[in-house]
Amino acid sequence: MHRREALKNVAFLLGGAISASTMGVLFESFTLPENEKNFVSFSVQDQKIFAEFADIIVPTTKSSAGAKAAGLGKFIPMMMQDCYPKEMQTSFARGFKQLQDKSMQDYKKNYVSLTVPERTKLMVDLRLMSIAQKDTKSEENKDLVYFFVTARDLTLLGYYSSEIGCTKAREYVLVPGRFDGNTKLKPGQKSWAT
Amino acid sequence: MNLNTNLKAENTYDAIVIGSGISGGWAAKELTEKGLRVLMLERGMNIEHITGYETAMKNPWDFEHAGKLTEEQKRTHPVQKRDYPYSEANEKWWVNDLECPYTEDKRFDWYRGFHVGGKSLMWGRQSYRLSDHNFEDNAKDGHGSDWPIRYKELSPWYDYAERFAGISGSKENWSTCPDGEFLPPMDLNIVEKSVKARIEEHYKRERIMMIGRVANLTVPHKGRGNCQYRNLCSRGCPFGAYFSTQSSTLPAAMATKRLTLRPYSIVNHIIYDKDTKKAKGVMVIDAETNKTMEFYAKIIFVNGSTLGSTFILLNSTSDAHPNGLGNGSGQLGHNLMDHHFRCGASGDAEGFDDRYTYGRRANGIYVPRYQNVGNDKRDYLRGFGYQGGASRSNWQSDVAELSFGSGLKEKMTKPGNWTMGLGGFGEMLPYYENKVYIDKTKKDKWGQPVLAIDCEYKENEKKMRVDMMNDAAEMLEKAGMKNIRTYDAGCYPGMAIHEMGTARMGNDPKTSVLNKWNQMHEVNNVFVTDGACMPSIACQNPSLTFMALTARAADYAVKELKKNNI
Repeated sequence: MHRREALKNVAFLLGGAISASTMGVLFESFTLPENEKNFVSFSVQDQKIFAEFADIIVPTTKSSAGAKAAGLGKFIPMMMQDCYPKEMQTSFARGFKQLQDKSMQDYKKNYVSLTVPERTKLMVDLRLMSIAQKDTKSEENKDLVYFFVTARDLTLLGYYSSEIGCTKAREYVLVPGRFDGNTKLKPGQKSWAT
Repeated sequence: MNLNTNLKAENTYDAIVIGSGISGGWAAKELTEKGLRVLMLERGMNIEHITGYETAMKNPWDFEHAGKLTEEQKRTHPVQKRDYPYSEANEKWWVNDLECPYTEDKRFDWYRGFHVGGKSLMWGRQSYRLSDHNFEDNAKDGHGSDWPIRYKELSPWYDYAERFAGISGSKENWSTCPDGEFLPPMDLNIVEKSVKARIEEHYKRERIMMIGRVANLTVPHKGRGNCQYRNLCSRGCPFGAYFSTQSSTLPAAMATKRLTLRPYSIVNHIIYDKDTKKAKGVMVIDAETNKTMEFYAKIIFVNGSTLGSTFILLNSTSDAHPNGLGNGSGQLGHNLMDHHFRCGASGDAEGFDDRYTYGRRANGIYVPRYQNVGNDKRDYLRGFGYQGGASRSNWQSDVAELSFGSGLKEKMTKPGNWTMGLGGFGEMLPYYENKVYIDKTKKDKWGQPVLAIDCEYKENEKKMRVDMMNDAAEMLEKAGMKNIRTYDAGCYPGMAIHEMGTARMGNDPKTSVLNKWNQMHEVNNVFVTDGACMPSIACQNPSLTFMALTARAADYAVKELKKNNI
């Protein structure tokens, strides 16, 4: 719906310069004008990779389901396409490709076929690589590091604003109704989602 | 010919109110309640109370982008996106900057909302009276022109505005920030109580800290529900628990059956009648059809927001008023001011690990101005107040660590540290050279010329910012906070969304645009009662003062009308 609203604004600005049928296309079919197309695209198969990747960052634990169940497989590529400038989209997409290459190189398997310990080990590598790159500022692995850091950010953002993240991992009340500025923190009490 | 006569009669009212925000809503309420037939013109869309607040009851997971802006929204809102208020949750309520451009001779962040209710729907709701310190500062230090009124003249109108709007707060008997007619105050949390006690003890109550005075109801009031502690005010409140045009003044005006509200009505200029030397009406552009039309009235209240109002006046030129309506003084468009902020300090509160909070209080603390008062002397003029508060954050991952897995997840579901912050809000002096004027080289979506803004902070503000950081750090230290960090995130005029001035009040028609009743010196049936009228801005949040000035001006206008003086 937000994309639709945004497009509506574009059409408004063009005003009388575009035909009624084009206006109809913009509003009704969501067809994007050429220069508005998302710079990179991700497939359904890619969504599975994102879901598994995010689930290593926020796994299922005793208290609550993890990132995969919270829908991060779709959320990450959607956010990348809608909310990031094209240079970042392309860097992210290159890094995403390198992640899959690394999986083949290190384990001779595609990412989705890796076991959880293998995916975890791979992410440990990415983490160390990213920390090291901060000091060296090396151009090598730049895209892979950008991918890891950004996918991790988006996973945390998406998970802790998801229904599972808010209501199962944390605690959420839509309408508190009152304010108490001095409650006793009970053992094991979760933090408020908002 | 008959058609025209009929149209004229149909389009004629006792009063026209331009704008439907905080001050416009008050003007409509007061004028209709005093018996006038009023037309309120709003340039943007209508938003119905409650049903128009589409995101008010949404959960965090109901938003597609987790509250973030898309690239397309950033492209169409290059100004609105500069700071936090424009977000996924209420993005419809901020203007598309491409449709209504303006010229920045110097950077000025102009936040605008074109819809019924204006910024009364998105405002911060902090509500403080000005004091005689503020009304006298211009006369004492020679900056700007003297206020034509003093506190005792506005005090009863503050009472009146507070009683209707519903302001919660505590009485403090503090000279720079007078007490009012308050609903019960919200609570301070446990850390804020400790900080308050230690600051007031250390400074022997020469500095105080209180709960914010806020236009959120702590008890039901005049048919409106009390605050539910959701802290989602900027999406509109389905409980009517904070003051807005929709929750408060519009229903009161509508109840008289004398109000006509017309959305999508952009006032292009005020029509001046050289024979009567009065304004006879306004020329309106329909924002949807671009058709122009005229409306007529005996009095006109201009409440289009500080710069919106001044644009209309500057754009209302005639042989008698070649430089803008009522601009014989040459002051119209000058002396633009805004608060400067985004600097202060924060620290960690230790010893409260077993304490937490319930509910999301839509309010913080307030430290009213104490500088350049009594024995406190600074190397700059005027002063600042602090807003802020203590909160227990969610545990935040140290991004540098880039950790992941069940350990990170476990930590992120636990409450984090208590922190306490103080952020200064400083007064900006009136400078003649800080100005707006009409730029005819650009046009907006409706073919109107645009405003150019040329405004900057100067030495006095820069000096004050040093103290805004250091005093905050010192007070937090005295209050026992640890790991204190000062910050100055930089500030440009407009960011506080407290822009004021450009059509100032004063006693002398040679140096001011409006008289002590917010009435134009030169066109006595035109009143300007929004932020444009302010000869100085103090450091307090200003909206309550606009409410009081508007109610006072409306009372005067109707009395003058009845005496046939207008």
